[in-house]
Amino acid sequence: MANTTDNKLKRKGMGAKASRRLSNFVIYVILILITVIWLFPFFGIVMESFKIDTQAMDGELFPKQWGFDNYIRLFKETDFIKWFINTAIMGVATAVFQTFFVLAMSYTLSRLRFKGRKALMNLMLILGMFPGFLTMILIYKVFSDLGLTMQMAPVGLVIVYCASSGMGYYVSKGFFDTIPKTLDEAARVDGATRWQVFYKVIMPLSGSIIIYTILMGFMAPWGDFMMASYIIHENSAGMSVAVGMYEWLSKTMLNSHYTMFCAAGVVVAIPVVAVFLALQKYYVEGVTGGAVKG
Amino acid sequence: MASVKLTNVKKIYGKDTVAVQDFNLDIADKEFIVFVGPSGCGKSTTLRMIAGLEDISEGTVEIDGVVVNDLQPRDRDIAMVFQNYALYPHLTVFENMAFSLRLKNAPQDEVYEKVVNAAEVLGITEYLTRKPRALSGGQRQRVAIGRAMVRDSKVFLMDEPLSNLDAKLRNQMRAEIILLRKKIDTTFIYVTHDQTEAMTLGDRIVIMKDGFIQQVGTPTEVFDMPVNLFVAEFIGAPKMNTFKTGLICEDGKYFVTPYGAKIEITGKKAEMLKEKNVQSGEIILGVRPEHFVLADQDNPAAIPCKIVVNEMMGSELHLHVVEENGDKLIVRIPTVSLEDEERKELVYGKTIYVTFESKVMHFFDKETEQNLLV
Amino acid sequence: MKQLSDLAYLKLNKFQRFWYNFLMFLAAIPRWFVGLCKRIGRAVADFFIDIKDGILDIGRTFKQGNWAVKLSFLIFGMGNLYYGQIMRGLFFLLFEVIFIVYMILPSGGIHWLSKGNWFQTGATIGNQQGHLEYDPIYDTDKWIPGDDSVKVLLYGLLTIIFIIAFIWTWRLQIKQCRICMDITAKGKKIKSGKEDLKSLLDDQFHKTLLSLPVIGILAFTVLPIIFMVLVAFTSYDAAHDGYSNLFSWVGLEHFNELFDFGQGGLGLAFGEILSWTLMWSFFATFSNYFLGMFVAIMINKKGIKLKKFWRTVLVMTIAIPQFVSLLYVSKMFDSSGIIGELIRDMGWLPQSMVDAHQYSLWANPTSAKILLIVINIWIGIPYIMLMATGILMNIPADLYESSRIDGASPWQQYTRITLPYMLFVTGPYLLTSFVGNLNNFNVIYLLTGGEPLNTEIGSAGGTVVGHTDLLITWLFKMTLGSTDSRYYMASIVGILIFVVCAVLSLIVYNVIPSTKNEEDFK
Repeated sequence: MANTTDNKLKRKGMGAKASRRLSNFVIYVILILITVIWLFPFFGIVMESFKIDTQAMDGELFPKQWGFDNYIRLFKETDFIKWFINTAIMGVATAVFQTFFVLAMSYTLSRLRFKGRKALMNLMLILGMFPGFLTMILIYKVFSDLGLTMQMAPVGLVIVYCASSGMGYYVSKGFFDTIPKTLDEAARVDGATRWQVFYKVIMPLSGSIIIYTILMGFMAPWGDFMMASYIIHENSAGMSVAVGMYEWLSKTMLNSHYTMFCAAGVVVAIPVVAVFLALQKYYVEGVTGGAVKG
Repeated sequence: MASVKLTNVKKIYGKDTVAVQDFNLDIADKEFIVFVGPSGCGKSTTLRMIAGLEDISEGTVEIDGVVVNDLQPRDRDIAMVFQNYALYPHLTVFENMAFSLRLKNAPQDEVYEKVVNAAEVLGITEYLTRKPRALSGGQRQRVAIGRAMVRDSKVFLMDEPLSNLDAKLRNQMRAEIILLRKKIDTTFIYVTHDQTEAMTLGDRIVIMKDGFIQQVGTPTEVFDMPVNLFVAEFIGAPKMNTFKTGLICEDGKYFVTPYGAKIEITGKKAEMLKEKNVQSGEIILGVRPEHFVLADQDNPAAIPCKIVVNEMMGSELHLHVVEENGDKLIVRIPTVSLEDEERKELVYGKTIYVTFESKVMHFFDKETEQNLLV
Repeated sequence: MKQLSDLAYLKLNKFQRFWYNFLMFLAAIPRWFVGLCKRIGRAVADFFIDIKDGILDIGRTFKQGNWAVKLSFLIFGMGNLYYGQIMRGLFFLLFEVIFIVYMILPSGGIHWLSKGNWFQTGATIGNQQGHLEYDPIYDTDKWIPGDDSVKVLLYGLLTIIFIIAFIWTWRLQIKQCRICMDITAKGKKIKSGKEDLKSLLDDQFHKTLLSLPVIGILAFTVLPIIFMVLVAFTSYDAAHDGYSNLFSWVGLEHFNELFDFGQGGLGLAFGEILSWTLMWSFFATFSNYFLGMFVAIMINKKGIKLKKFWRTVLVMTIAIPQFVSLLYVSKMFDSSGIIGELIRDMGWLPQSMVDAHQYSLWANPTSAKILLIVINIWIGIPYIMLMATGILMNIPADLYESSRIDGASPWQQYTRITLPYMLFVTGPYLLTSFVGNLNNFNVIYLLTGGEPLNTEIGSAGGTVVGHTDLLITWLFKMTLGSTDSRYYMASIVGILIFVVCAVLSLIVYNVIPSTKNEEDFK
């Protein structure tokens, strides 16, 4: 009797193990499928960029003839380098100013209590429901009077990206909220002013969120098309890569620029992906922390 | 080293949530004062108002005769130890303790000397280069105390410093704080919800409830002469037994009649009752568990009750008993007073007879719950 | 519907509970609405009480104040100067001087305000139309510039803001006089300028930190939005750009046009776009949410190896700038793209599409919409996966262990522990994400650009409308182009987007428990 239950248990145990193995197998299959689907476009874009037999879409995955012609053309015949530099400068500038704005706003809202705090948060909540692009009509008009559009667009765009960036305080406020309040209190009893609490106690603890904010600022100009295309207004000298390369896929230019677009895409992606993957940890912390904290 | 004086201090949150009501207290120089009470009684709020971490809604706080209401915490010359230690995670133990000195731009020699001295007193010299996360709870609390020590401040505030430690460590740290107090001779204000800490540490104890001070006094005073039922039940463990009973005044003699027994009140208590001219009527009688004694069945002062739970604590027995009316009482009997055989008979369901003497009785008004003898 | 006691509620079975909760929800709506009205009423009442108190306080200050305080009712900062707050006093004085100078300058505040013809339907904004005039010296027509409506509107608006600031500052400095009076009456010392400056790093630190970000928001968000709201009531478009042709106040005319469902009105186009926008937001948000969570659970399952690798693969899509990946993916599905051609060659396209000469999935409205949602999953899953991973790790492991001992299957664990927990924690995120998708310009514009064109209503009111256009891309298109930009319509659409978002948020914030209190999360 004891023996049979023993066996039963054993069989059941093995069953659990086998079913786990099966479910793991299914999961691996799905994950591999996901990997293929997710990486396929990137693989495709790289392949496309090495095609020298055609400059248009030919519906083939692999090049019939391999070569670097697209890259050479990219650097020699187009303003791509100019665009790239524009975007990189914008990225760095945005990272610097936006980080300051966002941290100042989120730190204040999270750790300081003052009259009008709730009102300010409600105001920003309401403002956030207007499509941000709506502001561009006036901003464009004013900027074009001030000469901050066209070839000067990068300057104008940095202002646009940064000026209102305080409204994107949610993620970092969520982070600051997790640091215990007693740290501030202890420091203040120890003789620190609020400013000293800020830079001697809280900032040293906020490395990850600072890096996250910098990363977000740096990435913004690379991905933005809407604001950029509006401010740049088809002036090649002031273009960012997004606006410049978008032209190449217009119906008139598509057939002569498609493979070059892909080459440019590869060139753009490499530095951004490198920075991103290197700082992935902080990005993940930001995304998860921010979402949980709302 | 300073006196602290609170006059009519009040704390109101929002529009009408009152946390602290009309708090008046004079704390002498070098006194060790303990605020004690259940959670939400306003003790921490009061402490934080003294520290300057909360605004004072009404009244004044003076340190050394200076009104500090409008001063920032850093200008009040206080040191504070927090319940959750509040150590700066990015700084080493040394830098944590040196933080306040660094803010004052003190010379390195002075910083070194003060920090190392404090560390030696607290026995944490070997951890000076570690970060707080590499320390145990007790060590962290020592660092927090050390950080407050190096400030040489006028007032030393402690907000439930031992609550996050386990029982054994708590006892040990409690003893250390008593020793520490001898070494750093300054004014202490200590907040706790634990009456044992209050009794063992304080020169004087401030017992609070719902934002009101209930009683201020030395440990002996609050133990022997609690002003009301709340204080009586809060101080002492296990808590005081209280029950409704009749008080009879016959021919200048006073009797209480708990549960059918009739006990004459003699000695000092009787004099005091007479002095206060207390009349017959129903009152609440309080007797501490340790003041019950076993009595003979035929003693007219004996109260019969049934044992429900018998807790053997080692040095004493805690007997949870039920009186015939269903009232629950706790009786505490020193083990040494019983023979082994007698002790073994005290089991579930057994009826025992207990009584108590006049000198351990506490009389409270049925309505106001105030001590009738105060 | 009567409220049940807790115990009576516990007696109900699943369906009864659902029905009960549903009824209670319905019953709560009028109550909620009444509560809202009351709250608003109270806020308005408080506002007027504040004003009344303010006026009383001003009167008292004037009566009790000395000559300097009385003087500061006319000349700013005199009270402060009298009480020794030199810096504050001079600051107030300077503000008043600047204000007066600005107002009376020939091209100053009064000038701009007078040109605005504010809200007079039919009146132009700006009085002087620029025009061509014969120039005998060069023998050509020369442009004589007149007013610029945009400038008139903008500077007029700024002037109004300036006036409000002026009144506020007037009140502020009187209030400070009052405070100084009170402090001196008590025999205390008044803060010096040096202490003022010092406090900016201490108890006034929030002012220091907030000044720049808030100024940025005021100048680059608040001001433009107020401006655009005004524009909705004007005829600002490419033909009336304000400079070469003044535009004018038209009242609600354009709102009527948007809701005009007849010939020439935009009602049909608007309805179509709004319904697709909402549909898109719904599918985009929830498909991502559930699939992303699913992927996160798979990757985080115990016993799955290479967790970091799978995650990194997905994160790649976030790293690569969207315009590169989206534009390429868009072309991939084109009729001559890698996948598009494959689909065509394999004959996987439905016959109806081929009959209609639609050779790629982008060409047919329905398939284009489905494809958009699918590609959006490709874009969106990584974000949700990361977020869900973080949350999953936060769920205490002993919950799972105890449920396993209680006999829960993995599926039951998912529906009874993981999902409720996730939904609770991510409630606010779902809302943000929904609103984000509502305004998801990048995905739509880069993938389809709003195409295929909607030929039935394609030219309604002169705007080109595509089947996959969202409100935001429609808005964008209305502002582009040198001849057919219709700024007034763009701002009306913008206002409507705001209304949609606001209504959604109000509902969600009142239904989801986790959004109620900021402090509950800590």
